[in-house]
Amino acid sequence: MDKSKIVFHSIALITLVVVFLFFWYLIENTHTEIGQQPTANSQQPTADSHLYLLLPISLLAILLGVACAFYLEERLPPTNWFRRLIESEVAIFTGIPSLLYGLLAVEIFVSYTLGSSGQGWGVLFYAEVLTFIVLVMPLTIRTTQAALRSVATPIRESAYALGASQWQVLSNQVVPLAFPGILAGCCRAMSRALAAAALLMGIHTWGYTHETAISAGIHSRYVLLLVAALLFSTFFSFLKENPT
Amino acid sequence: MKSEKKQSILSIRKLNAWYGDRQILINLSFEVQRRQVTALIGPSNSGKSTLVRCLNRLNDFTLNFRFTGEILFKGRDLYASMVDATEVRMQIGMVFRKPIPFRCSIYENVAYGPRISGVNTSVRLDAIVEKSLRRVGLWDEVEPILDGTPDELSIGQQQRLCIARALAVEPDILIFDEPCGELDPMETPKVEALVRNLKADYTLIFVTNKRRQAARVSDFAGFLYCGELIEFGATEKLFTNPQDIRTEQYVTGKLG
Repeated sequence: MDKSKIVFHSIALITLVVVFLFFWYLIENTHTEIGQQPTANSQQPTADSHLYLLLPISLLAILLGVACAFYLEERLPPTNWFRRLIESEVAIFTGIPSLLYGLLAVEIFVSYTLGSSGQGWGVLFYAEVLTFIVLVMPLTIRTTQAALRSVATPIRESAYALGASQWQVLSNQVVPLAFPGILAGCCRAMSRALAAAALLMGIHTWGYTHETAISAGIHSRYVLLLVAALLFSTFFSFLKENPT
Repeated sequence: MKSEKKQSILSIRKLNAWYGDRQILINLSFEVQRRQVTALIGPSNSGKSTLVRCLNRLNDFTLNFRFTGEILFKGRDLYASMVDATEVRMQIGMVFRKPIPFRCSIYENVAYGPRISGVNTSVRLDAIVEKSLRRVGLWDEVEPILDGTPDELSIGQQQRLCIARALAVEPDILIFDEPCGELDPMETPKVEALVRNLKADYTLIFVTNKRRQAARVSDFAGFLYCGELIEFGATEKLFTNPQDIRTEQYVTGKLG
């Protein structure tokens, strides 16, 4: 192995270790319990502690997204109805700003589980987890699919012609070539999760003020819009002609 | 005629193939003889590539592809439900128009095939790599740079590397799908000489749209036109005494 390769590999390894230690430190130092109430004049502590836990969870969501993308791209033919459905939903979801996700989370995940009883801040945490997953996965699926698709067909065919199985072609030829693209997609998704503070604010503001200031009207309208968009995309994904 | 029948290794019977609604191959039947070069000629879009891709089941991955008919390899149906497609591809190798070496060293390129089929001792791999590269006349040129990337090689050398890669898995049949399509005139004769030379150990199917090239390298030739096999027979006969008017027009350059 030549020297530059060793240097690059060690740099990558060191970066990875540093990132891991950073996350570890954050988790270790998050003493605030999940179900903690915000103080009277600030909701900062709860939001912070949640953020520290959410980022590792987003990381898991990214891995799940990569796995989904592999399944869609490599195992299902482009004409498969499930693949077309997921792809059109992914296209919609990647374009939604994170604030809207916050409203969506409040309206769907919080109000229907929490109701208006006002009990349990823990519910907010689970709402956040679900929303972060919905936020991060589509972007990951999309970029990973693009990276897999960028590996030229002739390379796959050359490997197949030597008697390689589908798994061997994928693991020996496709993944090494697509890896930079997949990694870039994961970074994008992660940075999107980092920038999703608006989402947390949306949820926490509601959590803090719901007893006094909630007027469900505005939220409902956003969610209605969103649902309409999703329905449209689903509908058109089936109207679209068969890709060949 | 009887001795010819015995030598047949691959027989194609009444092959029809479609992409979606478009029919690509219409009722093809012919035999490929063992240890001979069989050339398939014809203008572009006449279905030559589709035909050879059927022979090693590469079309399995093509969307909307379907076919009827039989392809018998050593008397066994290639598409029978018991047959493993990867095994078929190991026995019926393929070299493509554009040489595409894998993104690893020259050594690893040639060793990839044997490796995935279970050879993993370095002594045996070394022997296979050397033998394959010697066979294509590339060993002396690449021996010092075996660990280098194939990008340093010329396109002709890359194509010969791809041939060595295909030879390393010891196929029975090797399909060349326009192997000289991307090569310059200096490299083309080397590949042609190699094809004639490989005939001693392998059965070769050679697809080309250069009629002169087919006349130079092949023993048998088939002329495909718009998905139909117009004529099939010994190369000499096909080129000097064609039975069909279209074949005559093609080999004399009036058609296609």
